[in-house]
Amino acid sequence: MLRNVFLKTLRDQRVSFFWWSAGVIALCLFVVAYYPSVTRTPGLTEFFEEAPDWVKAFVGESIEDYTSPAGYLHGELFYMMAPILFLIFAISRGSGAIAGEEGKGTLDLLLANPLPRWRVVLEKAASMAAATFCLGVVFWGALAAGASAVGMDIGLGPLASAVLSCVLTALLFGALALALGCLTGSRGRAVGVAAAMAVATFFLNSLGNVVSGLRLWRKLSPFYYYVEAQPLKNGLNGVHALVLLSAALALVALSVVFFQRRDVLV
Amino acid sequence: MGEVVIRTEKLTKFYGRQRGVVDLNLEVLRGEVFGFLGPNGAGKTTTIRLLMDLIRPTRGRAEVLGMDTRTGSVEIRRRVGYLPGEPALYENLTGEELLQYVAHLRGGADWGYLRRLADRLDCDLSRRVKTLSRGNRQKIALLQAFFHRPELIIMDEPTSGLDPLVQHELHRLVREAGEEGTTFFISSHNLPEVEVMCDRVGIIREGSLAAVDEIEALKRKALRRLEIHFASPVPSEAFSGLPGVRDLSVEGKTLTCSVTGSVDALIKAASRFEVLNVTSPEVTLEEIFMEYYREGQNGMRGEGRA
Repeated sequence: MLRNVFLKTLRDQRVSFFWWSAGVIALCLFVVAYYPSVTRTPGLTEFFEEAPDWVKAFVGESIEDYTSPAGYLHGELFYMMAPILFLIFAISRGSGAIAGEEGKGTLDLLLANPLPRWRVVLEKAASMAAATFCLGVVFWGALAAGASAVGMDIGLGPLASAVLSCVLTALLFGALALALGCLTGSRGRAVGVAAAMAVATFFLNSLGNVVSGLRLWRKLSPFYYYVEAQPLKNGLNGVHALVLLSAALALVALSVVFFQRRDVLV
Repeated sequence: MGEVVIRTEKLTKFYGRQRGVVDLNLEVLRGEVFGFLGPNGAGKTTTIRLLMDLIRPTRGRAEVLGMDTRTGSVEIRRRVGYLPGEPALYENLTGEELLQYVAHLRGGADWGYLRRLADRLDCDLSRRVKTLSRGNRQKIALLQAFFHRPELIIMDEPTSGLDPLVQHELHRLVREAGEEGTTFFISSHNLPEVEVMCDRVGIIREGSLAAVDEIEALKRKALRRLEIHFASPVPSEAFSGLPGVRDLSVEGKTLTCSVTGSVDALIKAASRFEVLNVTSPEVTLEEIFMEYYREGQNGMRGEGRA
């Protein structure tokens, strides 16, 4: 595990990854375990159907069939909870990649070795992507197991699509945090700005559903590409996934450019 | 000798408006143990981090092993060992794991040699870095600079945090590697240490190179302060007019003075009386520099008259 920067970075996070996995599994099982009682509650669907649009906008798009498996998982997990968790995970890794090591001072030691700076950035970005993807697999596995245990009728494919969309969205913000860390050398600033961007674009997308003047602006929000096509119902939207992926890759490329030309801080 | 291993040309670095180094012109030859002497904040670390391409010059340029520090950085780092000032290590790794990592990044290591080095520095590689004292961390940082037998080793304040025994062992390591042809560039704010390890010394002050000299010449010019305690009061006339002796004062049984160059005449003069003790209070680097400049100016004036 100490063969290169990519593996070493994964190794450093193995304990943290274990606890993240435990948390994600617990969350999935908890949410799924409530599903049977939701379906037994009469009038819940009607209640949500009669809710005003702005309530629907904030609780989740496909709220009309709240008691269906896809509708329930969307509203309870995928609309807000899952992206929040995955974003925190990816942003913390993205910001730690360069700026974190820089803050601890170990970057001087690492860059004393014959490694080009671009390679350090790319290996760290790859390890962030791999870790986030693995957490997605854990999340998917826990949901699938839980769903089958309580007899929830939802396919593995749609689940995987929703999880993958969530992972891609998280990677975009993780890459943003990486780029900010490469630009400023400050982990705090990278986390702060990336988190602020996440909150702002989340509300841009939610409000865009209700406020007609914002409708077009929604397409600037990563969350539009995350939920608009409803991957849990309709499967992965290739174009939307590609938008998220290319934005993340563009930010990684930008990270390389930023870090390549900058002084390493003491 | 003759091949230039480090060359800087008008190397200048500003951090915003804050000065790092200004118009530094420096040459270090192959096989030299070059001391880079200066007080804290003089620009030693800035120069070294410029050579390692960790920071980029505002103006001017530098070459290491004949390659530009910007364009040849990776190849330079392949052939250079680097000890950062106050090195930060990976806290969660043991010394051995950390060296394994660095060895992998460098494409392998001679572990027999590495273990011999570790033994000589009395370095325990099995403990986690976070449990180690400052001196023991410094040893691991030294190992990662030495283990791949680089042709040039750049060290920023290498003995900081080391106890005297280990310092001594490091001096020997530097001497031995120097004899085998390794070039060293060693920054320090400690004159005696530079005197022990180095052949030639560059003195940096407020971002500029003040002087470059052979260590022997520096020793000749270096300022010492001496205090001689006698068994009974001594007449001050007995010590007047001694070569190299200044600021002489005799108060009862105690003589204090500053000496540049040889202390021979002073000691011989003192030996006519019963001497109880001789002490040499430490002279600050700044005082040495002031003396160095004074000497330089006197020399120039003397030449002018001649």
